[in-house]
Amino acid sequence: MRSVLALPDVRLRRVSLRAVTLAATLAGCALATHDSAPVAPGAWVSRAIPEARGEVRVAADGTRTAVRYKGWTTRDFAAFRTYASDDARPQPPVQKATMPAGVAGDPKKGRALFLDRQKGPCTGCHLVPGADVWPAGNVGPDLSAFADRKLADAYVYQQLWDPRVIYPQTVMPPWGAQRIFTPEELVNLVAYLQTLHGPVPPEADDDRNPFTRRRPTGFGDNLDPTNNPAVIRAEEAQQLWGARGPKGKACADCHPGEPAQAMRGVATRYPRIVAEYGRVMSLEDFLAVHGETTTGRALPSESAANVDVSVMIKMASNGLPVAVDTTSPAARAAIDRGRAAFYRRVGERNHACADCHTPEHGANKFLGGRFLGDVNAGLTRHFPTWRTSQDEIWDMRKRFQWCMTPLGANMLAADAVEYAELELFLTTFDVGKPINAPGIRH
Amino acid sequence: MSDVGKIRIRVPANVKPGDVVRVRCLVIHPMERIERDAQGKIIDRNYNYITRVTATYLGKPVVAFDLTQSVSENPAFSFALKATAPGPLTVTFVDTHGGKYEGTANIAFA
Repeated sequence: MRSVLALPDVRLRRVSLRAVTLAATLAGCALATHDSAPVAPGAWVSRAIPEARGEVRVAADGTRTAVRYKGWTTRDFAAFRTYASDDARPQPPVQKATMPAGVAGDPKKGRALFLDRQKGPCTGCHLVPGADVWPAGNVGPDLSAFADRKLADAYVYQQLWDPRVIYPQTVMPPWGAQRIFTPEELVNLVAYLQTLHGPVPPEADDDRNPFTRRRPTGFGDNLDPTNNPAVIRAEEAQQLWGARGPKGKACADCHPGEPAQAMRGVATRYPRIVAEYGRVMSLEDFLAVHGETTTGRALPSESAANVDVSVMIKMASNGLPVAVDTTSPAARAAIDRGRAAFYRRVGERNHACADCHTPEHGANKFLGGRFLGDVNAGLTRHFPTWRTSQDEIWDMRKRFQWCMTPLGANMLAADAVEYAELELFLTTFDVGKPINAPGIRH
Repeated sequence: MSDVGKIRIRVPANVKPGDVVRVRCLVIHPMERIERDAQGKIIDRNYNYITRVTATYLGKPVVAFDLTQSVSENPAFSFALKATAPGPLTVTFVDTHGGKYEGTANIAFA
């Protein structure tokens, strides 16, 4: 379990997501101080900025507020399984359900629920008719003519309640079993689905249909500073390289020369096992501890300085093949743990990374409007990456933390060992392929 | 943001005489914006943004942009240019404080 800190009530109203900033700032004041002594795995003390530590505040009245980044949900998902290695809870048990008798479903309400972004939305994975269905995904089957399959209502209800009863390997969440939809809502959804008869009219816009939608083409040259703001941020980070920290030392004192030469090839070996700390560390994790112990300058995980310097160091290896350690026994054990995390089902929705990022399931398909990456293609060598949708550079850990939220799982600290091992597993698919950072993505 | 005024100009490699090329230019600039209070009154701030961009090629003006409001931090502009002869392409950025920043790229033929 993650640590839970009791802090004074700051009266967080659920007005808008902007309120999170306040919470994060207040939490930051109260949750400082870390010792920098090496620690054993599992007992890692996070060096991340306060909003990146995955903490939950408990107010005097028992209200639990998750501390996350500005604009992210503050809902606490403590009831659900996380990626924490000490979280021994099993995935929710498979649940049979019988449709409530005598309740008439309303197809209109069912359709609204199908599209409700606060719920599924079901359209994230399934296509149904209607110009307002935008953007639909195709991780699940096209349901445009679902009623023509002539399935019994009770069967459809069970499929929605907990599809694992019918398909043990499904990627569809157990909507009823996890109380995301109420029985009445599911009856409405069944009623709606049973109205979907063919033939399906031709599409007015091919982009509405995820099966015919154009694939995203990218955002041009990712190394052009007039195109990718992350490149400029990395250039600005060069000033830190020669600047002396509180201990009177600068990075350049031990790594002489420009970072482009001094750090050439370094990033190809990360994430790696750092013996001093007894754990797998990503480049960003290592910077957080190494910067502080050598120069005295804190570079906490997910701080702008940490990310910018990471981009700068990773750029020094651009064009060089990724060469992480995949052969030593310790690395193999860590990769095995990372692989287990990749397939581990977590959160309210009982999803695994593999649900969206393996070709057997969601990879190379659309989740809503988002094109899902394929783990086999290698998903790490363009990180940290500029996100045009966020106007920020995101490293791999923030990307992981972002995925946790729609899954309904509390995020771990950005510098958690579990994330580093997961990143190491993902990086094994990039071995031999050239680093190309910073990327630029939606 | 200590490099205010630093300019980057990108011209494609392998330009041939007569080619129409796309030039991209960017200036490091903080963009201090105008803000209004709840009553709609302008909060008196020392706003500062890029307001005019001009480019000259072979000594002759080729393009001018007038900006009536702030566009972006580190704004980037792009325009088409017919590369007729080798020579300098100069881009000048002017901000609302009168700051003038100039950068030059050399158009050369492969």
